[in-house]
Amino acid sequence: MIAHSIFFYTFSIIAIISAIMVTASKNTVHSVFFLILDFISISCLFIMIGAEFLGMIMLIVYVGAVAVLFLFVVMMLNVAQQKNQWFLSSQSSKHIPIGLIISVIIFFELIIVVGGWKYKPDLMTSSNLIINESISNTHSIGNILYTEYIHVFQLSGMILLVAMIGAIILTFRERAGLKRQSYFKQISRERSDSINLVEVENNKGVNIDD
Amino acid sequence: MMNNLNFVYPEIFISISIMFLLILGVFKKNSSNLIYNLSIITLIGTLVLTFNYPINTDNILFNESYKIDYLSTFMKILVFIGGIFTLIVSFKYLKIFKILQIEYSILILTSILGMMVMISSNDLIVFYIGLELQSLSLYVLASFNRDQIKSSEAGLKYFVLSALSSGLLLYGCSLIYGFSGTTNFDLISDSFDKVEYGLTFGLVFILVGLAFKISAVPFHMWAPDVYEGSPTSVTLFFAIVPKLAALTVFIRFLYVPFINMIEQWQMIIIFLSIASMVFGAIAAIGQTNLKRLVAYSSIGHMGYALAGLSTGTNQGIQSSIIYISIYLVMNLGLFSCLFMLKRNDKYYENIEDLSGLSKNHPLLSLSFLIVLFSLAGIPPLAGFFAKFYIFKIVIEQSMYFLAIVGLLATVISAFYYLRIIKIIYFDKEKEKYDLDYNIGLKISLVLSTLLVAFYFIAPSKLLEIISNIVII
Repeated sequence: MIAHSIFFYTFSIIAIISAIMVTASKNTVHSVFFLILDFISISCLFIMIGAEFLGMIMLIVYVGAVAVLFLFVVMMLNVAQQKNQWFLSSQSSKHIPIGLIISVIIFFELIIVVGGWKYKPDLMTSSNLIINESISNTHSIGNILYTEYIHVFQLSGMILLVAMIGAIILTFRERAGLKRQSYFKQISRERSDSINLVEVENNKGVNIDD
Repeated sequence: MMNNLNFVYPEIFISISIMFLLILGVFKKNSSNLIYNLSIITLIGTLVLTFNYPINTDNILFNESYKIDYLSTFMKILVFIGGIFTLIVSFKYLKIFKILQIEYSILILTSILGMMVMISSNDLIVFYIGLELQSLSLYVLASFNRDQIKSSEAGLKYFVLSALSSGLLLYGCSLIYGFSGTTNFDLISDSFDKVEYGLTFGLVFILVGLAFKISAVPFHMWAPDVYEGSPTSVTLFFAIVPKLAALTVFIRFLYVPFINMIEQWQMIIIFLSIASMVFGAIAAIGQTNLKRLVAYSSIGHMGYALAGLSTGTNQGIQSSIIYISIYLVMNLGLFSCLFMLKRNDKYYENIEDLSGLSKNHPLLSLSFLIVLFSLAGIPPLAGFFAKFYIFKIVIEQSMYFLAIVGLLATVISAFYYLRIIKIIYFDKEKEKYDLDYNIGLKISLVLSTLLVAFYFIAPSKLLEIISNIVII
């Protein structure tokens, strides 16, 4: 049990610190690396509570795809040169005290909340959660995803569709004079259309007219 | 399962139409006009399908996470009407700005689908999914005129701030789930009998997220810039339709799971309401751009709608819904007038462009006059009745401070509405505007002006319909 706690606190502290470092680090590339670290420690937390499928999905989708994509974007746009001046510039420094006060208030409220929950264990016992040990993680997700939450599942599909449409509208520009390959034209082209056999007389040459 | 599907035909119909229209747009060249008209027909079809149900029964579907009742049906019908008229009046505008692409009307449809889900949601997950579907479409719509820097700015600003508020909202949802063990609205209220700090905290976060969506002060910062930057047709959509959905979620969320905690949230709603009314009235005075002015006036109007909600009674909910319905009609009229200010394929949106309008366009000025008087709440126009119902219930609940502040804000806000009327009627005239209105624009202007002007003949009709909305 104590080993479990040690692992839990290690991973959570890493997750929180790296999340802070994402916003605080001066170099954008470093921010992305901290983001990856954050995702990895969260996926470790998922695995620790027995949700290994979610943990692995987290690794594959967020670390494998999203974070690497971020990294590409950062490198392509060459924003690594611009230092992140969020904490340092004179303009933002007057907002920092207010922001800090608000976050401290929220932090203390959270402590009250967590404390209240800690010392009133009758509020929600873990027996409310029914965990079926006999079937696998993936199986149990599938069990509710396609039955109880089928409408939510379908609507998520609509959200992805909208995201795709939006990305295409905002970035796609039809350029004039673009030369595209047309397979149909290529295949249906005949030898007689393009090759012209000419009898060449001796010492005369050929007139080539385009 | 199949039994559930029988009650969501409108949602299914609109989803299938969206996909069909997308595919049609891909395979048929230059079909943007056709798809625009088909989208209007889709919305009308969905409207008809919504009337299909036995209206007085409550149906709770999909494991009690989706609710079809009188409130949802009424609000959905309002959303469809808003969507249909937005599409009808803005056709020419989109043509002139060359942003009439096939995706425009499809994005309107998807955001309306999201709003339908929000309106019917009885579960935090379903509500959030609907909210995201709606906002994701709206981000793209705000920056639809991407060649203009202001439109891109509007889209980006809306996206960043809205993502932040969505984050707060999700955090609130997770707190509520953690402390009650369920995401279902009905079950949340069963899970506690005394006030819990965790639930209060979650409630506050969700209220912040929702207040952002209806642009209530102090979460209003995005509204003026986004309203000004987006294409006017999108501003019209922003001004009327998403607020209907967000207000319904407010009602469902406050009055079903958290009705026992009314002392906790009543203060928050009263604060949001007072701040919005006062800020909306004062900040609008200095504006020169009509779209910005509409943004501030919509902030103020949301304050009045929230004042009705803060009473914690059925009559309060009903007065809020009446307010937002009349607000929809008034804004439709105002924007129809704005769409008529066109000269040589250029649209005018500053207040000074209106000067002396009455000499050249007496009828248009008359509609302006009626709509603006109604927005200011001058009897006997519809806007007066809307405010009257709100103040009546607020005073009945003996919340005198709220009523007094609301009345003062009404008086202040009357100033800038009257200033526009003064500019229209008494300032020096300018060049004539074009007269080639299309038929849809005319219909919407005449209809909304008549509704606003002659509401007083039968005010009990709307009251009768709304009185069926009983939440608690």
